[in-house]
Amino acid sequence: MTTNVARTARRNRWAIPGLVLALVAVPFLLGTFEVSLATTALIFAVFAMSLDLLVGYTGLVSLGHAAFFGFGGYVAAYTAIHLTGNLVVVLPVVAGATAVLAVVLGFLALRTSGIYFLMLTLAFGQMLFGLAVKWTPVTGGSDGLAGVPAPFVGIGPLSYVFAGRVRFYYLVVVAVLALGWFLVRVVRSPFGHALVGIKDNEERLASLGYDTWRYKMAAYVIAGVVAGLVGALFVFFNRHAAPENLFWVVSGEVLLMVIIGGAGTMYGPALGAVGVRLFESYVSSYTDRWQTLLGLLFVAFVLFAPGGIVGVVRRWRNRGRAPG
Amino acid sequence: MDQLLPQLVNGLVLGLLLFLIAAGFSLIFGLMDVINLAHGSFLLFGGYVGLSVIRATGNFWLAAAVVPLVTGAVGLLIEVTVLRRTYTRGHLIQVLLTLGLALIAADLMRWNWGAYVESVDAPAALAGLVDFGGVFQVPLYRLAIIGFGLVMAGALWVVLERTRLGAVVRAGVLDREMVAALGIDIDKVVAGVFALGTALAGLSGLLAAPVTSLYPGLDFDFLILALVVVVVGGMGSLKGAFWGALLVGMADVLGKAYFPEFSLFAIFLIMAIVLLVRPQGLFGTREAT
Amino acid sequence: MDPRTTTSKREEGRRTPPRGVSRRTFIKSAGILAGTVAAGPLLSACGAIGSSGGTSGPLKIGLLLPYSDIYAVLGESITDAMKMYFEGIGNEAGGRTIEIIAEDTQLKPDVGLEKARKLVEQDEVDLVAGVVSSGVAVGLRDYFHENKKLLIIANAGANVLTRAKKSPYIFRTSFSNWQPNWPLGGWAYENVAQKVFVSAPDYGAGHDMVSGFLNSFQAMGGEIVAEPQFTPFPQMGDPAPFITEIQQAKPDMVYCFYSGGAAVTFVKAYGEFGLTGDIPLVCAGFTVEEDVLPSEGDAALGAKSGLHWALQLDNPTNEAFTAAYKDKTGKDANVFAMQGYDTARVIAESLNAVEGNTSDVDQLIDAIEAVEFPSPRGTFKFDPATHNVINNVYIRDVQDVGGELHNVVIDDLGEFADPGDDSKG
Repeated sequence: MTTNVARTARRNRWAIPGLVLALVAVPFLLGTFEVSLATTALIFAVFAMSLDLLVGYTGLVSLGHAAFFGFGGYVAAYTAIHLTGNLVVVLPVVAGATAVLAVVLGFLALRTSGIYFLMLTLAFGQMLFGLAVKWTPVTGGSDGLAGVPAPFVGIGPLSYVFAGRVRFYYLVVVAVLALGWFLVRVVRSPFGHALVGIKDNEERLASLGYDTWRYKMAAYVIAGVVAGLVGALFVFFNRHAAPENLFWVVSGEVLLMVIIGGAGTMYGPALGAVGVRLFESYVSSYTDRWQTLLGLLFVAFVLFAPGGIVGVVRRWRNRGRAPG
Repeated sequence: MDQLLPQLVNGLVLGLLLFLIAAGFSLIFGLMDVINLAHGSFLLFGGYVGLSVIRATGNFWLAAAVVPLVTGAVGLLIEVTVLRRTYTRGHLIQVLLTLGLALIAADLMRWNWGAYVESVDAPAALAGLVDFGGVFQVPLYRLAIIGFGLVMAGALWVVLERTRLGAVVRAGVLDREMVAALGIDIDKVVAGVFALGTALAGLSGLLAAPVTSLYPGLDFDFLILALVVVVVGGMGSLKGAFWGALLVGMADVLGKAYFPEFSLFAIFLIMAIVLLVRPQGLFGTREAT
Repeated sequence: MDPRTTTSKREEGRRTPPRGVSRRTFIKSAGILAGTVAAGPLLSACGAIGSSGGTSGPLKIGLLLPYSDIYAVLGESITDAMKMYFEGIGNEAGGRTIEIIAEDTQLKPDVGLEKARKLVEQDEVDLVAGVVSSGVAVGLRDYFHENKKLLIIANAGANVLTRAKKSPYIFRTSFSNWQPNWPLGGWAYENVAQKVFVSAPDYGAGHDMVSGFLNSFQAMGGEIVAEPQFTPFPQMGDPAPFITEIQQAKPDMVYCFYSGGAAVTFVKAYGEFGLTGDIPLVCAGFTVEEDVLPSEGDAALGAKSGLHWALQLDNPTNEAFTAAYKDKTGKDANVFAMQGYDTARVIAESLNAVEGNTSDVDQLIDAIEAVEFPSPRGTFKFDPATHNVINNVYIRDVQDVGGELHNVVIDDLGEFADPGDDSKG
């Protein structure tokens, strides 16, 4: 007989290939504007997933995650302008530099928790923002760094430049799938389970012999590096690095995406990010009050559906079933 | 160094403005564990309401009377209807809720008052300069802010330290459950403190308007500074809000005057250092988590 | 007893969120979103008519301007004046009806880029006009240059856009940041003072303007009494620290550049602290232009400025323009409106020359380069080498004219074209 499990297994097999197919098909089905929209939506999806690692899995609510996003972007811009736009060079540089920043900030921030951690991450984010706005010779000041060249791979005549809307979109699709897959693997691993353990009851895990500080630091660095890498992609997309990318409102927005999508699920925040970006783009052409609508939506989720979209879908699916 | 004295005066002005907004913010956090990210919105709202009153009547003093009543009432309304639901649900939910409210408020204010920079004139009675021995001059209005801020600080101190209500509030900051267990209606006290905080914030918005002008974004600019003040001074401490505000005001002004490259960075560096070394702040009374 | 009702200080949102979502839930959620994605473009496609770069159908002009933050009035002025001009010619150019689609750049380069993409790729406009902030303009340059789309800058004076980064697809009908300032430097040295304190906002335009002024000022022997003061951009917050610095430096004269809301803040504080009338203020014209003069009030009295236009400039085109603008908006015209007006005329004249054919971009570029007409500022013509307009620079003085404050022309310094390189600052 076909059990629920078997049916589920058959449907599940098509989920990921289906997703990939849909992403690949976008430029064929939709216009250039939609491709641009999809590009930024995907970038923010991974950005949100990286924050979910901290918020939803480790229980570290950061209001300064934009610091890594923006910092990665600036490193990429600076490297591409002054050194080379070759991704083989730029991406490792971005990853390395962001990792160092994450270690330094994490070393300080992880000594606190809860509301103090929240405020400290906010403070760090603003410090970096202040630096970006004022250190004009390096960061271009409030105008940012313009003239970022298109990224490429390869050497000399064998190089493939990711110029043009569609080529860049596919680069982002590949990067996003890779980073997304990486993050999902991380949270499904024993390491990921330990993080959840820390979120639920850190003392208990520590008493079991886990060095919880190291786990939190590792999560912080992973989240930071992933955010930095997609931040670099964002800067390459705009061909411009701006201090606004470090501003705490961006940190607030990505936190919003995580909550609306559903913290602690990885897929949820990704959907939340895509949903919010699409909402912003389409609703803003109909009304100037889209921010109020987004705010109301957010408040509604916070008050009535803190599990996000994923939470709502789950509850609906589980309706009529006995609890427990 | 001959600009030091007048810059100190400028720092005092900003510091006392910050005190007015930070005092409410700090007490609210101390009493309710709520980081109200919409607190800056009350400041801007107060400024805009004042602007409308002045435009309609030409009377700054009338605005000064109306604004705190309006912002206090709105604050009370929000506390009772929306915020109260979240007290049992943890910090994250509260922070997120107030963030959402702040975003909504910012957009609605932009809708009603426009996205320009609105300048507000100081009241005519306070126009003019005060000369300090021929060495420097300060506009009278700014000195008036200093005066008012000090009077307000004094008044709040008297209420907190010398009245029964103040004792209840201070006790509530230290141990809320105990106060409730003593049979005192802590919910009313909380609502009252919240309303007072937002009333002060609104008033400081009106007072700040002739100095900084009103524009979308002013809410968050002040909120961030208030956050630094409260962290540095100590959550739930009026004394902390006072000295923290003066410190941050001075740092901001002196930074802009002497080290323009670092002013923004410096303020947050101070905040970060305090969080690391003494998380409860200079005068904080609560245990660090 | 429900543990959640105790407000312990250690409590952190203690709920156990779903640990990983099953793929079925994911598909359902994704389906909802996919529906939105598909519906969106379908909805917007319903309204799409005409093609980009055609010979028929409405002529779509995208406007990229700030409608919020400190330069909002500039954006409004440019828009009002452009619409006024187009209405005056029956909303038609080159045989096609004119349609304007305006977007708010919010003074941010990345928002400007996003809106530019929307205008060019989604709305399929024939060309884009506008851009107030130099920072936004520089951020947009590569997009328009590489995609071969026309951008007609109605304000942003970033020098680099008509120098190292000039492009055949980018024109400027307003000014380069150098133009009003370099002649002003020499004039100030000879007519006001030889020692100056400099103040400007810390972004591209601020640096450009200062550099232009100081280049000629110092070449004649002028001195600065302290390092130039660059204030936070866009919001400087409380101007007191900066005004106090000026006050204590006791210069013979102050040179500044500010615009829009920032100008009001700075000049009002200048008056509040008693500097008006005490230390002469010499500035780039935007600082005391007609849009901000009413708010600045008496604090601006006696300020001398250099600009390529003035409200009271005596020529028939200007008289007609200022009267019509006052009629339509109830406010006095300002330099930004004048620039918008000229921009609209440039578009109309060049479209007429190519008979509405925007699909041949090179032909259109030639037509734009060739336009010449009487403008409120004098004669309008482009410098073909830089695609920047050639401007006459006037020195104005803020005076009480029949109970109102206005900029009165006190000197005419002649024609100036941007040098095309950084040799003169």
